[in-house]
Amino acid sequence: MLSINNIEVIYSNVILVLKGVSLTMGQGDIVALLGANGAGKTTALKAMSGLLRTELGEVTDGSIEFEGTRIDHRDPEEIVRMGVVQVMEGRPMFEQLTVEENIRVGAYSRNDTAGIRADMEEVYGYFPTLARMKDRVSGYLSGGERQMLVMGRGLMARPKLMLLDEPSLGLSPALVKEIFKIIQRINREQDTSILVVEQNAVIALSISDHAYVMENGRIVLDGPSAKLKENEDIKEFYLGLSQVGKRKSYKDVKHYRRRKRWLS
Amino acid sequence: MIEFLQHSITGLMTGSLYALVAAGIVLVYKSTHVVSLAHGQLVAFGALFFWFFLGGLGLPFWAGLIPAFVLTALLGLAIERVALRPLIGQPLLAAFLMTFALFIALEGVFVLYLKGETRTLPHFLPQGNLHVAGISVPINQLIGFCVALLLFGLLSLIFKHTKLGLGMRATAEDHRLAQSTGIVVKTIFSYIWILSGIVAAVAGIATANVMDIYYMLPYIGINGLIVAICGGLDSLAGALIVGLLLGVVENVGAAYLDPLVGGGIKDVAGYAVLLLVLLIRPYGLFGLVKIERI
Repeated sequence: MLSINNIEVIYSNVILVLKGVSLTMGQGDIVALLGANGAGKTTALKAMSGLLRTELGEVTDGSIEFEGTRIDHRDPEEIVRMGVVQVMEGRPMFEQLTVEENIRVGAYSRNDTAGIRADMEEVYGYFPTLARMKDRVSGYLSGGERQMLVMGRGLMARPKLMLLDEPSLGLSPALVKEIFKIIQRINREQDTSILVVEQNAVIALSISDHAYVMENGRIVLDGPSAKLKENEDIKEFYLGLSQVGKRKSYKDVKHYRRRKRWLS
Repeated sequence: MIEFLQHSITGLMTGSLYALVAAGIVLVYKSTHVVSLAHGQLVAFGALFFWFFLGGLGLPFWAGLIPAFVLTALLGLAIERVALRPLIGQPLLAAFLMTFALFIALEGVFVLYLKGETRTLPHFLPQGNLHVAGISVPINQLIGFCVALLLFGLLSLIFKHTKLGLGMRATAEDHRLAQSTGIVVKTIFSYIWILSGIVAAVAGIATANVMDIYYMLPYIGINGLIVAICGGLDSLAGALIVGLLLGVVENVGAAYLDPLVGGGIKDVAGYAVLLLVLLIRPYGLFGLVKIERI
């Protein structure tokens, strides 16, 4: 349903951020995108959702296709209408609006009043906490509640593809588990495809079907998540394990590091 | 005491005009973060269009009202499309200076059309005075006052309870985030300027109701600006309250201090209030207090 073919992204006409990224997703997939800070993961998401253009970024080469149509030069609001919703990093929300108003804004691109009402109930079903805080001004929510709110807001657009940017950022392990469980439920029950950018590789690999690893603006490794979990490099650099699934001990750290290379 | 009340009531009537003018500035600022200097001109054109249909063509009240609204709204839309839309994504200062350019340009057109003459609207509201407990209030001004209150009520209803209002409030907070939820920000800007144009027309007509249309009329925009800034720039309630307050301060101040200093208090009062408010509360009396997480 989504295919990115060798895109190149340049910010302000000079800064080359993505140097040929390709990625494909099927209907109903959960795909994880891993990588260090500055690898270009968020830029890749913004290229898909069209938000790049508001930041002087531009897709200068390659193409992004969603359900057969090219979307790489469309406005973000148009892309939302086509069914691709990005939940941005850092959980930005309309802080002066109440929780319920935030959720209603999510459905701004739709006009079916009855459907919106039903979906709102559904969102409250996924996130009962939000239902309790309906009338609270959203600026005062905690980190976890914010994550639920931005995901709920994203769901209101009835997306076919949801792009989640670091949903686990700054949340407690228990809450991260809960959020990811809900992500899986959404994927199963709504048949929404999900592309998730994560630093928490353990949990991202455990819920996703397929994963990509990015470095320096390139995809360096990809494969089924189950297989990637077994990959030596992934274990060493992302899962903090060395050798046969043992936890790494400080005494084994050598004063030189194993050369990082990507073999798939 | 009666005298004081009389001056205050007269001040309230004038204040409602300031509040109406400020409302247009607040609307635009709320969603685009541009302080429009040219709003006074929009108000003046609203008054001029109304005069054109009523006094110039001799149409009846209602038949003149609607085309005046439409024309002023179109003028607002034209300002947004032609002058401000190309500046989206540029620094806000560019847009601000553009409204200053519009201030001068529209002012020029206005003066060119009037050629230094004065236009007086025919009486379109009931004349005469209402006497209550020794205080007299001109009926036409009272009607203007009520219209102002109604308009503020209507605007806050639109903001609070309609989908468009929700979109406007969302856009006001974060343009990029609004775009990412599917709000077409440019369309919201257009609607805002149309709405601001209609509000300007109401303000213009209400002003022309009590004073003549002449070359100084656009400068009511400066008073509107003072009120908007004091009220906090993004608060409709602030605009209303400060507007009324400024009217009262001006009028009462002029009545009691003018004999002492030899006149001119009316022209200074606004700036004195502005200075005082900005010294004590730099973000205005009712400005948005940003929610910050620490």
